[in-house]
Amino acid sequence: MMVNKKKNKELIKGKKFAEGIKFWQKQISEVGKLKSSLKRKKAELKKVPQKLQNQLETRTTAERMINKQLHHEIEQHKQTEREAQDNVGYVNGIINTIREPLIALDQDLRVVYVSRSFYEFFKVKPEETVGQLIYDLGNKQWNIPKLRELLETILPQKTTFDNYEVEHDFSTIGRRIMLLNARQIERGVGKEKIILLVIEDITQRKEIEAGLEKTHEELEKLAVELKRTTRAKSEFLANMSHELRTPLNSVNGFSEILFDETFGPLNEKQKRYVNNILTSGKHLLLLINQILDMAKVESGKMKLALSSLPMKSLLNEISLLVADMVSKKKLQILLEIAEDLPDIEGDELKVKEILYNLLSNAVKFTPEGGKIGMRAKRFDSAIEIVVWDTGAGIAFENMGKIFEGFFRVDTPYSRITEGTGLGLPLSKKLVELHGGKFSVESEGLNKGTQVRFTLPIISRKVV
Amino acid sequence: MKKKALVVDDNKDNLMLEKDLLEVAGFEVFEAENAAAGIAMAKKEKPDIIILDIRLPDMRGSQAARILREDKETNGIPIIFVTASVMVGEKEEINAITNSGFIGKPIDTRIFAKEISKFIKS
Repeated sequence: MMVNKKKNKELIKGKKFAEGIKFWQKQISEVGKLKSSLKRKKAELKKVPQKLQNQLETRTTAERMINKQLHHEIEQHKQTEREAQDNVGYVNGIINTIREPLIALDQDLRVVYVSRSFYEFFKVKPEETVGQLIYDLGNKQWNIPKLRELLETILPQKTTFDNYEVEHDFSTIGRRIMLLNARQIERGVGKEKIILLVIEDITQRKEIEAGLEKTHEELEKLAVELKRTTRAKSEFLANMSHELRTPLNSVNGFSEILFDETFGPLNEKQKRYVNNILTSGKHLLLLINQILDMAKVESGKMKLALSSLPMKSLLNEISLLVADMVSKKKLQILLEIAEDLPDIEGDELKVKEILYNLLSNAVKFTPEGGKIGMRAKRFDSAIEIVVWDTGAGIAFENMGKIFEGFFRVDTPYSRITEGTGLGLPLSKKLVELHGGKFSVESEGLNKGTQVRFTLPIISRKVV
Repeated sequence: MKKKALVVDDNKDNLMLEKDLLEVAGFEVFEAENAAAGIAMAKKEKPDIIILDIRLPDMRGSQAARILREDKETNGIPIIFVTASVMVGEKEEINAITNSGFIGKPIDTRIFAKEISKFIKS
């Protein structure tokens, strides 16, 4: 305006009237412009409250939304808190269910949390536990060097350590051997670490292990002793065999030469006496051999010398061995040997011994005029042989005793029969050694006997 | 000419029995009661057959047999072991000796000389 006034004065002074008019016209138009501008402003001003109103509304809406959001967040937080609470309950539930005592420590090794089983096991109370330094627990009973080592040396280097063995004599619960599992875990975002210790009491297990070890040692000692005894026994048997047979060798040998009159004739009485010596000597030898064989079978020392046995000819051969005895007693012998009887794998001497024992038993226990016989046939993967007679039979009550050895039923035959009483049990053992089955059947006293046994065609025994 | 047999046994009864049986069968019989004497006798007499007890007082029969086998003068003579003990281990011991046989005690007087003769190669 100051500029305008100054200019005005100059214009008037310069009498430039036209210009002045022009100026005023311009001024008027300017005022008009101002007026309309003012008008516009006025109109605008009128609009302001509405705008403010609008802005306020927008703001309120936003605030509401924010509030809502906040409310929602608060709710969520509460929910999380509740869940966390639930989780704590859940975790506590787990911890308190576990039988092994568990203890949680902070970085200063002060007790933060202790499981129920910890209190029970170590017989401590919650009020004297939580917040305490672990070493101070139970009147400083926990000041254990090995535990210190774990907590102060090992754990700072390793966050995990399992099966750390600690042995300690607690005044309350006695000497314990414990296995400790340790974990360092970060709790939450605050990076505050806690140490978890799970303690397993292995005192009893150790005792059992020690007991087992001791038992094992004792067993080993026993096994060694048993081996030694077995060896001593078999050495004794070998020696006995030698010591008994050597003099018998002389008895039998010399009496045989005498009986054969190799070096000159004997009178009748001399010959009969010598024959008695020879017969008894041979009987004694058979007894010794059978006792030794029984002992060998029982100690597992009896070994089979397996070969292929032509059973048909072998059975015939054995039946000829008893032919003399059969004819002396006027017995009838019946052989029923199947045409397709296969050869078997077996120990020739032992199989012959079995058959001879059974056939001679049949002869011995059958009265004059009776019948004996042998049946043989294939039976699955084995052969079955039955040696039967019409003789003395076996009373039902004696069935169990016939395999005992030296058992002979008191029958009229027992006085006249020669035998060791070991033939049957030994035969059974020899059959079983071949992997066969052996059974004796009798309808009863004086109703005859059937001895039935099998021998596998292919030996199942590894020799 | 009579066949020569050497019997080595520390049991005098056995020695006599075997000697008698072999003499009856026509052998000329030499005797020894221990392995050392038997080996010396074998070298001296060079018998057609040697009958050896397994258990001798100075060494085992099988050991005496190995000594006989190592000697050129005696390594071809058949050796028959006679023993009452027929343990599995002893059989293996005997089987390890070449040109050897085995007769168990008590000997069967009726076939003893015949069995011995079978081992002599005519």
